[in-house]
Amino acid sequence: MIEVKSLQKTFGDVTALDSLTFSAPEGQITGLLGPNGAGKTTCLRTIYGLLKADSGEALIDGIDANKEPLEVRRKIGIFPDKFGLYERLTAREQVAYFAALHGMEGDTAAAAVEEVMRRLDMTAIADRRATGFSQGQRMKVALAQAIVHRPKHLILDEPSRGLDVMSTRILRDLLRELRDSGTSILFSSHVMQEVAALCDQVVVVAAGKVAAQGTPTELCEQTGESALEEAFVKIIGTDEGIAA
Amino acid sequence: MMKSPIKLVFRKELKDALRDKRSVMAAMSYAFFGPLLMALAFYVLIGQLTDSSDVKIDIEGGEHAPALVAHLEQHGIVERTEPWPSGQQPITLTIDQDWDEHIATAQPARVVLSADFSSQKQRTDIRRVESVIENYSNQLTYIRLQMRGIDPRITQGVDLVKHDKATKGSKAAMLLGGVLIFILLSVFFSGMNVAIDISAGERERNSLELLLSQPLTTDQLVWGKALAASAFAMFGGVLSAILIPVIFTLLPLHEIGVSVSLAWPMILMIIALLVPLALLATALQLFVSFRAKSFKEAQTYISLLLMVPMLIIFGVEFARVKSQILYYLPLTGQHQALLDIIKGEALQYDALALSALLTVGVAVGLLRLISRMLSSEKVVFGL
Repeated sequence: MIEVKSLQKTFGDVTALDSLTFSAPEGQITGLLGPNGAGKTTCLRTIYGLLKADSGEALIDGIDANKEPLEVRRKIGIFPDKFGLYERLTAREQVAYFAALHGMEGDTAAAAVEEVMRRLDMTAIADRRATGFSQGQRMKVALAQAIVHRPKHLILDEPSRGLDVMSTRILRDLLRELRDSGTSILFSSHVMQEVAALCDQVVVVAAGKVAAQGTPTELCEQTGESALEEAFVKIIGTDEGIAA
Repeated sequence: MMKSPIKLVFRKELKDALRDKRSVMAAMSYAFFGPLLMALAFYVLIGQLTDSSDVKIDIEGGEHAPALVAHLEQHGIVERTEPWPSGQQPITLTIDQDWDEHIATAQPARVVLSADFSSQKQRTDIRRVESVIENYSNQLTYIRLQMRGIDPRITQGVDLVKHDKATKGSKAAMLLGGVLIFILLSVFFSGMNVAIDISAGERERNSLELLLSQPLTTDQLVWGKALAASAFAMFGGVLSAILIPVIFTLLPLHEIGVSVSLAWPMILMIIALLVPLALLATALQLFVSFRAKSFKEAQTYISLLLMVPMLIIFGVEFARVKSQILYYLPLTGQHQALLDIIKGEALQYDALALSALLTVGVAVGLLRLISRMLSSEKVVFGL
């Protein structure tokens, strides 16, 4: 369970989060939808403790990342806003590094790495160095790093950016599978189709506030619109920064 | 028992760096080419110092004193036939036309030596001419006294016997002072590329954010990285500490009366000296390049930073600063200890320990500061 309670965060004069409150329960995919600059990345970074909120709290299973960052980070897998790979390491070495950082070792670690590689269909690139990887292959490595330690919570920041159709499908299948095994998944996006196709629950964020919350169907009902796109535009008040 | 995150980060960074040809080349090339360049410079220097070719000068009035000219020739001072190179004042020896008369009447025979006595280049030449003339003069005196039945030793009121107490080792110390700088600086140069790559490089390729979101403290992260870069710095340090003495045994240093013999225990001592220095060098470099946004930016800062140890060591070396405090401080402490090792003097172990402790202390302080920096969102995200 990921809970965000009245998060407040300002950078200078800019209010990035304005008493943002929502939760991402277990066994569900929660989508954080909002235009560029709505505060999505700020919110996620606060959840895993890289940013400190001015007030309010972000809890993972009841633990505050600001107070016990290491405890929280052991419980989550992160697919960050920007993911850079270590160009001189092989895919397997990178994933193994993150498994080790999460305290896995020996045969257990090796088996976990092997399994996630097979699951993401990346055995062919497992022992190649990352230099020259395609965007899709890079995404797979980053995803493998995020889930190799089988976290109970998975946080993804704009995971489908720059991905081709095949990679997107692999990503979606994986997220559904993880949800069905009880993981709470929170991901941010500014792409409506993706959110509509994947999410059990949508949190629409605009200007650091929750503008609306519910299932895609509920959101349509709330706004009295039949098409999702119209519903989103109506909630946010503008269609700027949103991709169909 | 879980593996320490420091060890994990250390091993990963070391593996990563060893695969980076640029980092390995940087570490190796400094350790190789620095000493090699110095060896070449010394080779030329020794050649010049032991040059025993004839000194060619202008001799005027040589016809008045053929015996003197013959004596000069015997001692390698000959009449010049070619013109003087531009920018060099001629050295001219003028023999008085009354030479014969003065010799016959046992008066001082006048010889005029005119030259630019301040010229650094011609100093040895002038000195040689002077000493040959003095030598001739002494011979004349002896003969004159003996002819009058007087023991020539009567002219020697004082017999000054010179004992040159400069050991071969202390001459070596003067010479090696310059080379030592290379050994000390090698730990600053060799790990530089790795230090930049694991800090500014990590930020540039966008892997810093994810790394900071893993379950390890920034202290553990910084120490893992610092140890990996220090290992590289030490790699270069060890290489040059071993290579420099080896290169010196290949040089004909005995020709200028210098002996350099570094036994293995000494080399090991030098390597031990470098360890705290390597950690300090790395900590300084990480401190600077973690603040940089890109590899290039970090490189600019660090090349400026490298001037600091160079200036300090060169300053102490050439200004001949002598103070006990130098023995206690980071960098100068290792420098002084190194000088003592080369001179074959007894090491001041307590001063050595104190300077090592201070060095490590400053390094640890810097690493703590970096760790604090990485916990700050302002530094991490450049807000």
